[in-house]
Amino acid sequence: MYVSPIREPLIRGEKDYSQVTKDILAPMAGKPTRYWYMGITLSSAALLFGAWATYMTMYYGIGTWGLNKTVGWGWDITNFVWWVGIGHAGTFISAILLLFRQKWRTSINRSAEAMTLIAVACAGFFPLIHMGRLVLGFFIFPYPNTRSLWVNFNSPLLWDVFAISTYLLVSLIFWYVGLIPDLGTVRDKATTKIRKAIYGFLSFGWTGSVRQWSRHETVSLILAGLAAPLVLSVHTIVSFDFATSVIPGWHTTIFPPYFVSGAVFSGFAMVLTLLIVARKALGLEEYITVNHIESMNKVIILTGSIVGIAYITEFFMAWYSGVEYEQYAFLNRAFGPYAWAYWIMMTCNVVTPQLFWFKKIRTSVVATFIISIFVNIGMWFERFVIVVTSLHRDFLPSSWVMYKPSLVEVGLYVGTLGLFFTLFLLFIRAFPVIAIAEVKSVLKSTGSFKKTAHHE
Amino acid sequence: MVAIGLLALAYGFIAGLGGDRIVANLHLNSFYFTSLGLIGMFFVAVHAISESGWQVSMQRVGEAMSLFIPIGGIIMLLVFVFGGMHHLFEWTHTEHLDEILLGKVAYLNQPFFYVRFAVFFAGWTWLAWMIRKTSRELDINGDVKYFNKLRKYSAFYVVFLAVSSVISSWDWLMSIDAHWFSTLYGWYVFSSMLVTGFAVIVIFTYVLKRMGYMQHVNDEHIHDMGKYMFALSIFWAYLWFSQYMLIWYANIPEETIYFYERIKHFDTIFYVNLIVNFAIPFLLLMTRNSKRVSYVVVPVAVILFIGHWMDLYQLIMPGAVGYEAAGIGFLEIGVTIGFTGLFMLVTFFGLSKVPLVPKNHPFYEESLHYHTNY
Amino acid sequence: MNKSYITAYYTDDDDLLKGIRQLKEKGVEIIDVMTPFPVHGLDKAIGLRRSRLSRVAFWGGTVGALIGFFFQAWVFTEAYPLNFGGKPYLSVPSFMPVAFEMAVLFAAFSIVFAYLIYFKLTPGAKPVIHDERSTDDRFLVVVKAGEPGESASIERALSEAGAEGIKLKA
Repeated sequence: MYVSPIREPLIRGEKDYSQVTKDILAPMAGKPTRYWYMGITLSSAALLFGAWATYMTMYYGIGTWGLNKTVGWGWDITNFVWWVGIGHAGTFISAILLLFRQKWRTSINRSAEAMTLIAVACAGFFPLIHMGRLVLGFFIFPYPNTRSLWVNFNSPLLWDVFAISTYLLVSLIFWYVGLIPDLGTVRDKATTKIRKAIYGFLSFGWTGSVRQWSRHETVSLILAGLAAPLVLSVHTIVSFDFATSVIPGWHTTIFPPYFVSGAVFSGFAMVLTLLIVARKALGLEEYITVNHIESMNKVIILTGSIVGIAYITEFFMAWYSGVEYEQYAFLNRAFGPYAWAYWIMMTCNVVTPQLFWFKKIRTSVVATFIISIFVNIGMWFERFVIVVTSLHRDFLPSSWVMYKPSLVEVGLYVGTLGLFFTLFLLFIRAFPVIAIAEVKSVLKSTGSFKKTAHHE
Repeated sequence: MVAIGLLALAYGFIAGLGGDRIVANLHLNSFYFTSLGLIGMFFVAVHAISESGWQVSMQRVGEAMSLFIPIGGIIMLLVFVFGGMHHLFEWTHTEHLDEILLGKVAYLNQPFFYVRFAVFFAGWTWLAWMIRKTSRELDINGDVKYFNKLRKYSAFYVVFLAVSSVISSWDWLMSIDAHWFSTLYGWYVFSSMLVTGFAVIVIFTYVLKRMGYMQHVNDEHIHDMGKYMFALSIFWAYLWFSQYMLIWYANIPEETIYFYERIKHFDTIFYVNLIVNFAIPFLLLMTRNSKRVSYVVVPVAVILFIGHWMDLYQLIMPGAVGYEAAGIGFLEIGVTIGFTGLFMLVTFFGLSKVPLVPKNHPFYEESLHYHTNY
Repeated sequence: MNKSYITAYYTDDDDLLKGIRQLKEKGVEIIDVMTPFPVHGLDKAIGLRRSRLSRVAFWGGTVGALIGFFFQAWVFTEAYPLNFGGKPYLSVPSFMPVAFEMAVLFAAFSIVFAYLIYFKLTPGAKPVIHDERSTDDRFLVVVKAGEPGESASIERALSEAGAEGIKLKA
């Protein structure tokens, strides 16, 4: 296909196919670096903290948390939504960018999808642990029982069960199906017998036959077509947890697309945070180029602006509706006891992404890294503000309370951060972080040696 | 066609169908076709800033459609000024405002309304004009700096349209039912406009192809437009469902009254709206092959054009006219045909003014040889 | 039937495509082509027909949606009707989310399992690897060797079509 000469190359360094294989398989070979060991020690420590917090919660109960009446949801649900949101970027990159034929996704989709799986696992932890009596956790699934009891299909909390489970499973098979050909490459390049056996097992007997490839593309495209509405629906259903209620600040029709945009927004920020470090540490700067970072930043401006418009709309509509409770909910957010959280959220989510309108900032790796951290923080605060400020002061002033997380709740959150980074570091060692075959398939049209237009 | 429209209007007056209904029709159609013009330019702008290449072969259609924007604005203004405000908007009856409407007076008052109106149309008209101008400059002189200018204006346009379409939908549509509110409303209307705008681009392109022009538009281009119509219809249905289900679930009377009115008195249109704008495109455009053939994509585009007019009907009429006076008769159909004729006139005029094929566009070659694996 | 075959490789995907078309013209029977990534146009050149997997996904999804919807309807009208906010028992809008998720789940799993089972891609399956570099940077062609006398002419056809490393395997 013809490629216009004004397009920037997506793969630098004039690579050929075997060089691509070598570059991407390199991080998996040999012993891990000093930094990797440091990283996994830190994240394991965090994981241990989380393990303690989990023990405390399961053994002593939800009383070890800071929840009260009326704040029945606090850090637990904030973290749940935050993690689910982060997970959405991976599917967005794999599925939606595939449907939009954005070739720049090929260098980032594998690690983004892995990040999705890990993030969704971290997210799913919170609804499970907040049940209290986790031993009876299987109640949430509809199974025939002697109590003639069925789940409440009309509850958004149950829709969540279906949505998150489906999302986890579909993301898993999407990631794995895409990974199979690359595992074949790893198997064929394996130097030790053990590695050959392991990757031979994992690659399911892949040969690269044209029939396998042709159907593989069909499956990938259809999975993308399924995963795209799935991404939208999962965070929509998460937003329904709030929007189907009558609480001021929660019950508002804009939540579904606003949450989805926010999810993609925070997810891309996390992808950037991870990949900016990974590309340097793993020597993959020629594959995850400044162009990729710039494209991701453009998605951040887009989704960040949508989130900003949603904030303004909510605020305006609260006034326009004339409903005094709705109006108070927003005044309280901006000027009440949690105003500090609100203004952190506003600065991080509305102001910082707008900086990416400037090309200099958009193409600066350092600036992007800093802004991505701010966005992650801002989006955490957004969920905190939505959950806690609406609950702590709703209709009846005599019921107004304050909420503060306990050490156990903090421990659970830190534990999921530990889980996330531990699993991601393990992923880097065990699997190729870039989709080898996909990068090769766009090498000719987007690599750095396309001086003449290529026409088939 | 314009003649039929004027005739229908005259009939409306004579038959005494009531000022409410006539005004509402004019308002509906001027809004509808203005939004088509806006989305025509949006098509150009959004693809310019995403640096995509395939649409270049069709972008003249979008540019030409945007010529209607000021014309739609003038018609809307005339309707408002010559008594339309009182027929459409109950908040203009400042002598007997109830408590709720009094609370909204800071926003829903005529001076502020007109100021917003002017800002929107000025911004839209000027930005669309700048994009058209830069596009022509790019064509005459293929310098990359014009392409970058095009991207810059496109970015401004997209941002401005995003914010202004939301606020304008509150002003011109949502305030018809001034006691009601929904934060999703602006985006819902925008999604409806998106689907129709893209569908109309397809229709125009097809007509031009049949007339012998635009032969370089191939199956791949049609496929992509088919994909857009499919995906955007699903997106529209998703927003429809979000708004409806959330209001249904919470069951708060001041919100549910909106749907109650529509299901009780406008039920046919209300449900047909869903079938035409979601079920039909979803089922007919699902397979890959169907999205590649004009004889499926174009009829679906026409159906969507009619369907989203009906969507707008059930947004406006229940509040503006009420169920006793409303209906779909000669007035509605005639005025719509009139506007369609006017819109076609303006668009073809715009198409004739510039070379149909932007040969010097940096992505033109890509668009010409457009061919993908899937 | 003679089970021997000839393997040869290319180092560039465009050359591969040109070569395949040439070989097909000469009537050489191609058993398989192994590539490190999907080569656009190769499936058409080989003569593969359109995949029916999309139908599997469609029917899987439909089944999932119907099961999801009607199961909920049964639970809420027959098995365990619950009064939630005075809404009707057959509450269509609130059944949508679960029905949708079931549709996606069933569609995705049915198509992936159909694909894996059809190609016998199972954990620990043992493939026949003709050339280990076919997953790296070589595009491998495997053709039928035909009767003992024909193999030479087929090998010649392969080298004329630009292939390298021509080997006869019995």
